[in-house]
Amino acid sequence: MEAVKEIIWSVVKNNISLEPEKWLEDFIQSPDQPAQIAKVFVMLPRKTGKLLVAVNDDQQKALDKAGFGYIRNWTIDRLSRVWLLSNFTAVDEEQLYSTLDRLFLSAEVNEAVALYSALPFLPYPEIWVKRCAEGIRSNIGSVLEAIMENNPYPAAYLDESAWNQLVLKAFFTEKNIKLIAGLDERANLQLALTLIDYAKERWAAGRQVHPQLWRLVGKFINAEIFEDLKTGLQHYDQTEQRAIALAVTESDYQPAKDYINTFPELKLALADGSLNWNSL
Amino acid sequence: MGEPEAFDISAVKGMKFFDPHVHMTSRTTDDYQAMADAGVVALIEPAFWLGQPRTGLDSFRDYYSSLIGWERFRSSQFGIKHYCTIGLNSREANNESLAEQVMEILPLFIYKEGVVGIGEIGFDDQTAAEEKYYRLQLELAKEAGLPVQVHTPHRDKKKGTQRSMDIALEHGLDPYQVIIDHNNEETVKEVLDRGFFAAFTIYPFTKMGNERMVEIVKQYGAERIMVNSAADWGISDPLAVPKTAALMKMRGISDQDIELVTYRNAITAFAQSGQIDEADFNAQADLTQKFEGNTILRGGQQPRPDKSSIIIS
Repeated sequence: MEAVKEIIWSVVKNNISLEPEKWLEDFIQSPDQPAQIAKVFVMLPRKTGKLLVAVNDDQQKALDKAGFGYIRNWTIDRLSRVWLLSNFTAVDEEQLYSTLDRLFLSAEVNEAVALYSALPFLPYPEIWVKRCAEGIRSNIGSVLEAIMENNPYPAAYLDESAWNQLVLKAFFTEKNIKLIAGLDERANLQLALTLIDYAKERWAAGRQVHPQLWRLVGKFINAEIFEDLKTGLQHYDQTEQRAIALAVTESDYQPAKDYINTFPELKLALADGSLNWNSL
Repeated sequence: MGEPEAFDISAVKGMKFFDPHVHMTSRTTDDYQAMADAGVVALIEPAFWLGQPRTGLDSFRDYYSSLIGWERFRSSQFGIKHYCTIGLNSREANNESLAEQVMEILPLFIYKEGVVGIGEIGFDDQTAAEEKYYRLQLELAKEAGLPVQVHTPHRDKKKGTQRSMDIALEHGLDPYQVIIDHNNEETVKEVLDRGFFAAFTIYPFTKMGNERMVEIVKQYGAERIMVNSAADWGISDPLAVPKTAALMKMRGISDQDIELVTYRNAITAFAQSGQIDEADFNAQADLTQKFEGNTILRGGQQPRPDKSSIIIS
């Protein structure tokens, strides 16, 4: 983490002028950070501007390796705020928590985005679990994106119910499912069953089912789930059929595998090798 | 996408409507006027969240006060009788230290005139905290003899609805006193079979549509079924109830069933509170009355502004 923070600082420095650089450094060296942080955090965009960050090749490589390559899409104020929070020194865990919690409570949208983006970089990671779950209750699009897309924290720390809520809400609010970190690793039976109920709700309403939904069902296919897959396949919606077929390849349930082979188009699409969760 | 269109609900001209779930604090007087013009004579506004979490008790208290005070007055200016349900909503039940405090002030509000139930309560994410405060409020409803307005979760709805009903029955509530809201094709049968009222929210894109609603009434009949708009700060339509009535008429549903689904059943359910008297509906809109010195009008306007004119005076 220290190495990553160093890279981030080098990116930040490349994207701001000397005056804001000094302003930030002064804060980090200040003996009384807790008293200062609210003001500095809030005012920061006025010092750094809000342009998209420029990351050089070496920095990008190092970030990719550490799993943080996505910050190339951030603006400089967001990155600087995340850097600031990750370097915030409190007297103890309690002071850290209460200081940052207060920032969450009064955050406007951009501040909230930065706060949730910073979760993977904060010490004592477990103390933010409730706050993260609370953030998922937000209806504000960019705040939800900051938690759900390109953020390793939720998959690493949320319990199964809170994780399942995140994924459900991502489908409901039409987030980019492919960008959810840890999506495959945290797949679970409860989530698969709830998502299938959701698929049935969508079908009853005459609405389309997101193809990525089936990605979370594959590993759990059993006789009962197989019946629902058959229903889906009968809709003859090509994207949905392909997604279901792809999910079945991840299952051991032989009847489902045999059934897919009775669809020549699907058999071909799978054999072709081009069908994967990124292409759907 | 789309353009504002003139719509035609003349099929149900002269009918009266009751919208048992609409968040008027997030709607403008234009909506009140449109609702009154379309025949809505009364509504229920459930207590809910404000779009982002409240952080203190005073925020809840002031909101409850506004539901029984200013909002009720605002509604009366358009000839629409305003009732409300009071409760701690499922989302904010997750802030336990605050939830405890809210539970303490609920008894100050639930016995007030025009409070027709405990609501809207239930599950959002189905956490332990949500369950705890749902159960406590069910007990409160039992003690107060008030109907319960249950919000069913939008995510994991089928299981969440089942749990909501299981728990209500576990606490000994009469299902006839419990209105299960936001139903769809997947939940309706069990809700009706188990003796509860089934409310449907007609809300574009994300919830029930009224063509689908017509099919539900054709399949299940009108018993214990009601519709609402749940119009709020999102893209929603406060005319959902009259529009649904008009569609039902055009699609061949009997006048009797339409009246049940868009007026009578909601009244039957919530009048169990003892707080609804139809004689109070359709009182002449008195636009000169004031609430604590405030009027909706500002100094000498005509009660209905001419929206077709760019002149505002």
